[in-house]
Amino acid sequence: MPALGRTASCALGGLLVIAAFAVGVSHAAGAAPTSSVAVRSSLLGPPTQLSAAFLPERLGAPTSIYFTVDIDPPALSVPPPLSAIDVSYPSGLGFATSGLGLASCDPARLQGGGAGACPENSKMGAGTAVVQVVFGTEVVPEPVSLGLFAGPSPDGYLHLLILASGKAPVEARIVMTGVLLPGHLHITVPPVPGLPGAPDVALTQIRATLGGALTYYERVRGKLIAYRPRGIGLPARCPRGGWRLAASLAFSDGGVSHARDVIACPAHRRPGK
Amino acid sequence: MTRAGTALALAVALGTTASAQATGPMAKAAHRLSAKDEAKLHYVRASGSSLIDEGKASGTIPGTVRIDFTYTGSPNVGAQFTIYGSSGSLRVHASGKLSSPTNPKPSFKGNLSIVGGSGRYAHAHGSGTLYGVFYRRSYGLVVQVQGTVYY
Repeated sequence: MPALGRTASCALGGLLVIAAFAVGVSHAAGAAPTSSVAVRSSLLGPPTQLSAAFLPERLGAPTSIYFTVDIDPPALSVPPPLSAIDVSYPSGLGFATSGLGLASCDPARLQGGGAGACPENSKMGAGTAVVQVVFGTEVVPEPVSLGLFAGPSPDGYLHLLILASGKAPVEARIVMTGVLLPGHLHITVPPVPGLPGAPDVALTQIRATLGGALTYYERVRGKLIAYRPRGIGLPARCPRGGWRLAASLAFSDGGVSHARDVIACPAHRRPGK
Repeated sequence: MTRAGTALALAVALGTTASAQATGPMAKAAHRLSAKDEAKLHYVRASGSSLIDEGKASGTIPGTVRIDFTYTGSPNVGAQFTIYGSSGSLRVHASGKLSSPTNPKPSFKGNLSIVGGSGRYAHAHGSGTLYGVFYRRSYGLVVQVQGTVYY
């Protein structure tokens, strides 16, 4: 397990607040709502923690991003199902120049055939998740595997597909869609039906890596050659105070949770040391 | 040869039209050059979403090109590059839109502004169009510029 950045999670209560949840937009409290701004009442969601790390963390060099999201509902309760995740990251990170996602995967093929239906060069990362399934009077945790793929781009932005596959107690395969906006990754989470008569499945944990040990293929003089894509470019300079990341999680009951993390700048090394 | 004759000879050699502009804010811009250059650039280094590429340019102003290409994932790309020719350098700022981001070789097109230079092009200005292809595997670029330079 890699060392994670300093976690700053939000301690969230059950207070009713006015919150704006829109892609890449947050409105200051007290700002006068206008007809063009969607501001709605929403409950604060369950306490959530975000942790992130660059692997490796070398300025100016390619890296992968490892991140975890933990949703911690009060004891003996299940969080409401998630409907969207918005992760903001420093805009200087080289996602688009990473060499990841040199092919795109068709969402219908991914849904129908799983990861094997996608081109190798569309793979962008992998991970695991844990969902909570209500099973009679019990709540059963279910491990889920995640696969991250490049999706087709209808608008010129980079689109991401996240395949989540679970086996037991609920066998399900869902495809979440994401779009990489400047400084933001917005992921839409579809409802995942639980067992008949039970509520939808609720997500409580995500562990994922964008980039990492991926194998791509290219044709060189007629031969298919395997190679490892370079990875996400880390800027040559670390911003003062480190790289700040934040996540906003929207739940199906209207609740919103926020979490933040800072990836500290790498320690300065003196030449020759 | 007179000074004017020298300027005219250079202009002809470059395929330019020399014209005197005695008045106005651009009084120093005595030459107009319709330029079309193409460069095949290789990756030198990267910093986050910016790539530094270098290579040779051929065309109206042959020389060496160094480009700082920025692509953040939105369709908009930015480029700042310098063409180092035998008579001086030209600094260019450009922005454009990239299509098909999951294509291994997406193309982009946009507008450019000539913002200065050195030597003969010390006070250069002008505008034009930028076309390019970004090789996502190798981080290389092929760039074609077309425009008008006043210097």
